[in-house]
Amino acid sequence: MKTVIDAHNISKTFNPETIPVLAVDKVHLHLERGEFTALVGPSGSGKTTLLNLIGGLDKPDTGNILINGVDITLLSANALIDFRLHNIGFVFQSFNLIPVLTAKENVELIMQLQHSKRASIEKRVRALFQEIGLEDKMQTRPAQLSGGQQQRVAVARALAPKPQFVLADEPTANLDSKSAANLLDIMAKLNQEENITFIFSTHDARVIERARRVITLVDGQIHADTAHVETNVAHEGFSTNK
Amino acid sequence: MNLILAWRNVWRNKTRSFIILASVALGLFAGIFVLGLYEGMIRARVRTVIDTEVAHIQIHHPNFKDDYDPAFTIAGQAQVSGALRTVKDIKAVAYRSMTQGMLATATGSAGVQINGIIPDEENAVSSMKKKIIEGDELDLKKKNGILIGKKLADKMKLSIGNKLVLTFTDRENNITAGAFKVAGIYQTSNSPLDERNVFVNRATLNSYLLIGEACHEIAILLVNDTAVEGVKQSLQQRFPAYSIQTWRENSPETDLMVSTINQYSSIIIVIIMIALAFGIVNTMLMSVLERTREIGMLTALGMNRVKVFVLVLAETVILTLVGVPLGLLSAWITILYFSTAGIDISSFAGAAMSGFGFGSIIYPEFPIASLQTVMIIVVSTALISSLFPSMKAIKLQPADALRQ
Repeated sequence: MKTVIDAHNISKTFNPETIPVLAVDKVHLHLERGEFTALVGPSGSGKTTLLNLIGGLDKPDTGNILINGVDITLLSANALIDFRLHNIGFVFQSFNLIPVLTAKENVELIMQLQHSKRASIEKRVRALFQEIGLEDKMQTRPAQLSGGQQQRVAVARALAPKPQFVLADEPTANLDSKSAANLLDIMAKLNQEENITFIFSTHDARVIERARRVITLVDGQIHADTAHVETNVAHEGFSTNK
Repeated sequence: MNLILAWRNVWRNKTRSFIILASVALGLFAGIFVLGLYEGMIRARVRTVIDTEVAHIQIHHPNFKDDYDPAFTIAGQAQVSGALRTVKDIKAVAYRSMTQGMLATATGSAGVQINGIIPDEENAVSSMKKKIIEGDELDLKKKNGILIGKKLADKMKLSIGNKLVLTFTDRENNITAGAFKVAGIYQTSNSPLDERNVFVNRATLNSYLLIGEACHEIAILLVNDTAVEGVKQSLQQRFPAYSIQTWRENSPETDLMVSTINQYSSIIIVIIMIALAFGIVNTMLMSVLERTREIGMLTALGMNRVKVFVLVLAETVILTLVGVPLGLLSAWITILYFSTAGIDISSFAGAAMSGFGFGSIIYPEFPIASLQTVMIIVVSTALISSLFPSMKAIKLQPADALRQ
């Protein structure tokens, strides 16, 4: 298996000069291509911070993060933006689609930032909308879509630039059961059929159930790391709100 | 896509966009209207100075203006007159004699400048005839007729047909006096001029001054205002012994006024632009801060800082490009209307304006010469104002922005 993410000894403290909060504490993380991993833990355990660090949205105070062998902690701000554009897909809890663009334009925007050719953008976007089952909603603005539909468009947007992996921060948090299940089906299918690597931060038991690997964070440290969610959660005594 | 995004962002909050758009349009309108107003005032004042006061160019004996000594006439008047006829830029010439004296009536006296004119000559050079509000212009047959200004008439309680005495010195420095009868009363927009200048037949004045057919001043009206400096230079070369001065030199207060008004208009435009800049900074900053999360998301997904910067800048550019034609059009329509209807300020500033030689009705003129400058200033102000919000946008850290 090819290593996608290799993080060594990463730590992140917020407000170091006022009221220091150690969000991530000396974490080592190794993820292979094709993994479907859930990052779980109670609120404030450092899940989102760890995702932000892996995604290059934040810089760690210590440690290195290698994505496909590139140490992103050494990249300049501009190089990091470019790196994210070509290597990392993001799905956010609150969808974060651009309200003034249609669903299709939201997905196209990322590929245009990559300077992809018009024809390949068109082909890729159509394929993605087919994949997420929203071909008939391509010209619809986000406000006219349901939460579940918006999140599916966000997944399509994350996948459009063919990233090395997709980071999803609580992707089902704002969705009803049916929409959440539907979204997870799509992501699991993409993972299995196209070998796309997904890493979720989540509280959601439905996501944890579907994950093939679950990493539990407590107080910024990896408390457990297992492929069997039920065993792990039971062992750590961590509630998954089932 | 960046441009589409900018365009749609502009119309995302219509009220806010309308405020910026109105600020740009209003800023441009105000700038152009103020300039148009001043342009109209200046042009009217310069026109008055040239048409009723000092013409384009005047020729004098070099010592005459020191103390208006009647002895300093223009020698070789016929030679000068012949030469002037050959200059194609000259429209008309008037030969005047003049002196300083005292006007006395039964009720009082006042210091005046006595101008000896030939009505036909004068009418070709000056629009004084059109300024006569009572009585008639001077008649060569009525040797002792006098034209006086309205302000002087009011001050000395004179009316048509009243008699008065002018006392002055002749070329031999003897005091001489003559009785005159008010033939007409004139009124210009320059009340100090009306109070100080009286006009009599040149032959009559010359006979009192003992200067025969001579004159003290040759007033020259040109075909075109722009030819002034060229004609002056050419005349000065031909007649180096005379003092040849343009209207700017003969009416330095008007020249000063023109430059002062230009400075005032610049200051007013700067104030308008500062207000515009604050309006744009405030509104665009609000627009950026409202979209902190969205801008953070775009950066997170891979939109580089240059594109984010250009996005915010493009939104201001779009608003400016819509606002500029609106401001331009509204200013043009307003100035077009008032350029014929005029703006009557007589009820609150008429006397003050007249004191400075301005009419109480202002006819603004579209400031074509300054238009490009004003537009560049407005567009630059809008762009510079959007730099701060744009900088703010690119400084957003994606993780911090997404946390909001």
